[in-house]
Amino acid sequence: MQNVLAILVPRADTVGRAEKEVMGAAQRLASQLNGQWAVALIAPRACALSRQVLVCGASKVFVVDHPELVEYSADPYLKALEGVVEVAHPHVCIFAGNSIGLELAPRLAYRMKSAMVIDCTELQGVSGGHVQITKPVYGGKAETILVAHNPPVTICLRPRSFEPLNAVSETTGEVHRLTIEIEPSLRRTKVIDRIVEESSDAKLEEARIIVSGGRGLGGPEGFLLLKELAELLGGAVGASRAACDAGWAPMSWQIGQTGKKVAPDLYIAVGISGASQHLVGITRAKTIVAINTDPKAPIFKVADIGVVEDYRSVIPVLIEELKQESSA
Amino acid sequence: MHVVVCLKPIIDPEIPLADFRIDRESKRIIQGNANLVTNIFDENALETALQMRERAEGDIRITAISIGTSSSIDILRRALSLRADQAILINNEGMPELDTFATAKILAAALRRLAPIDLILCGREAGDWHGGQVGSFLAEELSWPCATFVSRIDIDGEHFIMRRQTDDGWEVVKCQRPAIATVTNDETNVPRIPKVRDSMMAFRKEIPIWNIMELGIDVSAVRDAHVTLQLRDMYIPEVNKRCSFIEGEVGKEKAIRLLHKLREMHII
Ligand SMILES: Cc1cc2nc3c(=O)[nH]c(=O)nc-3n(C[C@H](O)[C@H](O)[C@H](O)COP(=O)(O)OP(=O)(O)OC[C@H]3O[C@@H](n4cnc5c(N)ncnc54)[C@H](O)[C@@H]3O)c2cc1C
Ligand SMILES: Nc1ncnc2c1ncn2[C@@H]1O[C@H](COP(=O)(O)O)[C@@H](O)[C@H]1O
Repeated sequence: MQNVLAILVPRADTVGRAEKEVMGAAQRLASQLNGQWAVALIAPRACALSRQVLVCGASKVFVVDHPELVEYSADPYLKALEGVVEVAHPHVCIFAGNSIGLELAPRLAYRMKSAMVIDCTELQGVSGGHVQITKPVYGGKAETILVAHNPPVTICLRPRSFEPLNAVSETTGEVHRLTIEIEPSLRRTKVIDRIVEESSDAKLEEARIIVSGGRGLGGPEGFLLLKELAELLGGAVGASRAACDAGWAPMSWQIGQTGKKVAPDLYIAVGISGASQHLVGITRAKTIVAINTDPKAPIFKVADIGVVEDYRSVIPVLIEELKQESSA
Repeated sequence: MHVVVCLKPIIDPEIPLADFRIDRESKRIIQGNANLVTNIFDENALETALQMRERAEGDIRITAISIGTSSSIDILRRALSLRADQAILINNEGMPELDTFATAKILAAALRRLAPIDLILCGREAGDWHGGQVGSFLAEELSWPCATFVSRIDIDGEHFIMRRQTDDGWEVVKCQRPAIATVTNDETNVPRIPKVRDSMMAFRKEIPIWNIMELGIDVSAVRDAHVTLQLRDMYIPEVNKRCSFIEGEVGKEKAIRLLHKLREMHII
C-alpha cells in the first residue's frame, strides 16, 4: 500500500490543526511504506486554500472547486471525493475524526469497497507494505491492533493523537484542479438553520486549561461556578456526557469518546466519576486534577492531584482566592 | 408511516474497568457477569422515534430490529415495552462475529423485506467496537439520503426536518423521504423508562425470529469480499499514574493547598 491520500475538508478559511494532523499521519505513513502521499482538498475556495497545504510539503494537491461545494453537504462532497479517488488511486485514505470526517469516511469507503476504521490512535507501515492500525475499543478499556492486508483502507484519526505537519521551507508541490460534474439534484439534504453554540472564550480543543463538570455538579448552577473559575484561569469549560444529557451544558462541551478530545496543560474534573468513555477524551492532558466526594471514584486512578471533597466547598474558595490575587 | 430502529445488543460497555476482562488468545471480551444491553445510541434512536411519533399527526408504526443471538430477545422485549409496535430478531447464532459490512448487508436484506419504510434509525456508533459505519453503509446500500448525529426528527410533508449536531453547535436539515439517520445523544432524547403496564403487555407479544439464510444473501461471499482487516492483538492498556491527594481538615484548606501546589508546579 503505497499511495496515501490525506482527505481535507476544512470548514474554516484556514487549514487548521485537524487538517495538519491528517497530513502528518499521511506523510509519516507514506514514508514508512516508501510511498507517496497526496492531498484531496474539498472546500469552498479550495484553490485559495491549497497554498496553505503546499506549505506543509504536500507534493500533490487535488482540488475540486464547484458551486455545489460552497455549502457542505455529504452528497455533493462524496461525488467530488469519488472524482479525486478515480485519479489518485489511493491505497490508504485518511480523514480527520471530526463530524464531517466521520460522516464522509464510511460512505466513501463503501463506494470504494474499502475496509474502514474510525478512531485510530496510531498508524504504522509494517513489513509487507501493510498498514497497522491501533484502535481502542470498549470506550478505551481495551486496545486493538488491526492490520489491513488488502487495499484500500479508509481511516478516521482520533483527534489530537497525531503530530500535526508543520510548514516546510521549500514548496515543490503542485495543484491539480479537477473538473467534476456535480448535479444540484444530488443534494438530498439541505441545511435550513445553523446555530453555533455559545462557547467559553477559549476553544475547547485549543484551551490550555479546562475546568470540566459532571453529574456530581447536581444542576446547571454548578456550571456557573465552573465558568467563573475557568475565566479567572483563562481557560474553557468542558462537561461529561451525563452533564450534557441533563441539559446543564451544551453538547459541544462534551469531552470523551463521542465528544471532544482535548489536550490541555491542566484539566480539572469536577464531579466526574472517570468512566473510560470520558477518559479517552483527556488522555493527552498533561496534569489532571480531580475533585470528587468519592475517594474510590475511578477518576483518581488517572488523576495527578486528587481532592476528595464536595466541589461546593472547594470551587468558590478557588474563585475567591484568584479574585483577591488579581485585584491585589 | 413506517420507522425502523436498528438495535445492537452489546456487552455493557459501562462496566467498571476493574471488572473488565479480555481473552487475549481469542481476542474477545469475556462477558462474565456483565449484562447484554442495547447500545446506548440505539436507545437514543428509539427515543427519537417515539418522540417524533408523539409530535406527529397520523399513524406511525415503529419496528425494532436486531441481529443477535437468542439472548438478545430481552433487548427487543424492552423496545416493545417502550411501545415499539413490533420487534424482529435476526438470529446469527453459531456464526462468526459479523463485521460492519456484513451487518449492513444483512440489515439491508431484512429492511427490504420490511418495506415499505420511510425512515431508518441507527446509532451513531456501537459502544463496543465503535464501528461508526453501519448507518452510513445502509444509506449507500439502499441509495437513501442520510443525516448523521441527529437527535430530533419531525415530519414535514414529503420531507423530514432533522436537528443534527455539528462540532460547534447544531443545524437543522431538511431531508428527502425515505431517509436514514444516525442518532447521537443530547438533552432531548434521553431514553425513557418503560411503564410497568407496557412491560407486561410486551411480554405477551410474539417476537418473530428470522434466519439469515432465509434472507437470501450469501453471507460467506459478503465476508470474503470484505475481510481485509486482521485483528492481530487486543489488550488492556496499562495506566500507571499515582494520584497525590491534597490533605486538609476542610474544603477551604484543601482548595488553598491545591492552588499552592498548582503554582509550585508552574501550571497556573
Ligand atoms: C458508547 C458510549 C459513549 C460515551 N461517550 C461519552 C463521552 O464522550 N463523554 C462522557 O463523559 N461520557 C461518555 N459516555 C458515558 C460514560 O460511560 C459515563 O456514563 C459518563 O461519563 C458519566 O458521567 P459523570 O462522570 O458526569 O457521572 P457519574 O458517573 O454519575 O459521576 C458523578 C460523580 O460525581 C461525584 N459527586 C457527586 N456529588 C459530588 C459533589 N457534591 N462534589 C464532588 N463530586 C461529587 C460522584 O462521586 C461521582 O463520582 C459514553 C458511554 C457510552 C456507552
Ligand atoms: N447487530 C446489529 N443489530 C442491529 N443493529 C445494528 C447491529 N450492529 C450495528 N447496528 C446498528 O448500526 C449502528 C452503528 O453500528 P457500528 O457501525 O457497528 O458502530 C448501531 O448503533 C445500530 O443502530
